[in-house]
Amino acid sequence: MDCEILTSPSDSRIGALSGDRSGGAAFQVDGVDFSYDGTHPVFRSLALTARPGEFVALLGPSGCGKTTLLNLLSGFLPPSSGRITIDGETVTPEMPALGYVFQSPQLFPWLDVLDNVRFGLRMTGRLRDAEQRDKAMAALALVGLEAAAGKFPHQLSGGMQQRVALARVLVLEPRLLLMDEPFAALDAITRATLNEELLRLCGRLGQTVLFITHDVEEAVFLADRVVLLDIAPAGIHSELAIDLPRPRRLRETRRLERFTTLTDTLLERISAIVAAA
Amino acid sequence: MQTRLYGWAAFPALLLVWSVAAWNLPPYVLPQPWAVAAEAVRWLDSGQLAAHVGASLLREAGGFAVAVLGALALGLAGALSQGFRAFSAPLTGLFMAIPPIAWAPLSMIFFGLGYVAITMVIVVAALFPMAVTVQEGFLAIRNGNLRAARVLGARRWQLIRYVYLPASLPFLTAALRIGFSQAWRALVAAEMLGASQGIGWMVAMGGQIGNATQVLLGVAIIGMTAWITESLVFRRIERRYRHWHLA
Repeated sequence: MDCEILTSPSDSRIGALSGDRSGGAAFQVDGVDFSYDGTHPVFRSLALTARPGEFVALLGPSGCGKTTLLNLLSGFLPPSSGRITIDGETVTPEMPALGYVFQSPQLFPWLDVLDNVRFGLRMTGRLRDAEQRDKAMAALALVGLEAAAGKFPHQLSGGMQQRVALARVLVLEPRLLLMDEPFAALDAITRATLNEELLRLCGRLGQTVLFITHDVEEAVFLADRVVLLDIAPAGIHSELAIDLPRPRRLRETRRLERFTTLTDTLLERISAIVAAA
Repeated sequence: MQTRLYGWAAFPALLLVWSVAAWNLPPYVLPQPWAVAAEAVRWLDSGQLAAHVGASLLREAGGFAVAVLGALALGLAGALSQGFRAFSAPLTGLFMAIPPIAWAPLSMIFFGLGYVAITMVIVVAALFPMAVTVQEGFLAIRNGNLRAARVLGARRWQLIRYVYLPASLPFLTAALRIGFSQAWRALVAAEMLGASQGIGWMVAMGGQIGNATQVLLGVAIIGMTAWITESLVFRRIERRYRHWHLA
């Protein structure tokens, strides 16, 4: 279990990390069809947009093709037809505007934490060594893990590993974050802490976020808008704007009557989707 | 309860059994260990031992180096391309089934007696088992790590340099160890067939002139060279990645 206290990095550190604060990217999925074998469609005329800086949670019952959707959104799979764009450009996995956090941390076990976070900077190779180090340390500070810089991934808890994975992506200053149930494998306490942490970071860095989850409360707590996915073959079932005040704090927000109303609405809709299947 | 480790007793026990056996046999059949040691001193003093061991090591180094490069290329190609993997698998299987020493006569017809002929036998011996191990290592790399590297901006060559290579280091070390020992076996055998110096020649010549002491000296050196390389070189490389590979 994670018991470490989260440090609040000073604003100057964040300034060092995100030089230009152009904020989030606009994201658009336009009439996307997809099928693995050409006969059984997984998605049919899927449409989804995100405004710059918006936090969108994608919620769906298991088996609705969430993983397929993320593979499409990140450019790992090409759509059968239709277009997926970030700021008007067709998406590819290597696109620098795109940051991807997987369900499991996927840290490189042969590199220490600092070198894991530096990995993306080394690939682009634009910065000198010392600058890469500084940036990586600033990113680690954002997730409160400066002290772990010299450790190896297997020496960290699951929650800490996922934080390193987040820092490894944030260091590249992506304008769109794709998150595939990033906290699903963690225990409830760690997960709650990281949810708050994520909101704090997004509030400061301002990226657009697409967050996939199967947890209704997590979706409502985090998002500006929750998008419900239908069971395949289908597109989007419905959307729900989350009009809870920000900044959100776990204990206060979850006690709001509005929070309960919103989660109830979503739970009812999910039951309807599952019942119709 | 502590487990008692008897590793230290292995070599003394071997020497003891050898000595007892030699006691009951004429010395021209099985000489005593100290007779072999005295023979070693004679060969050392004359400078002959260094010359023979040096010749063998030179061949081993050349053949092993070529095999390593070839195995890396084949293993990488097999890991990256499913088509190539399917194409090369039967060939690799065939070549691995043929004892490398069977190639020695052909190699000597091709290249004449000398360095190249013997080195080629070593290459054939070490290349295929190493290529298979290297390929297995590359294939064992977690898909998730590759995807993570790709979204972090790694291009094809960077994936090889920064993901495939470090992630497969445990397999690469294993491949080197397997390749070196295969090469060494083939080398000694090839030298026994067609060389005018080297440890293999030393053993073969000892057999022809009925000098069991010289044969045993050669055999001891063959074993010790392989054993020392293994524990000094390859075990050390292994220790470097142990901390994360076992995690």
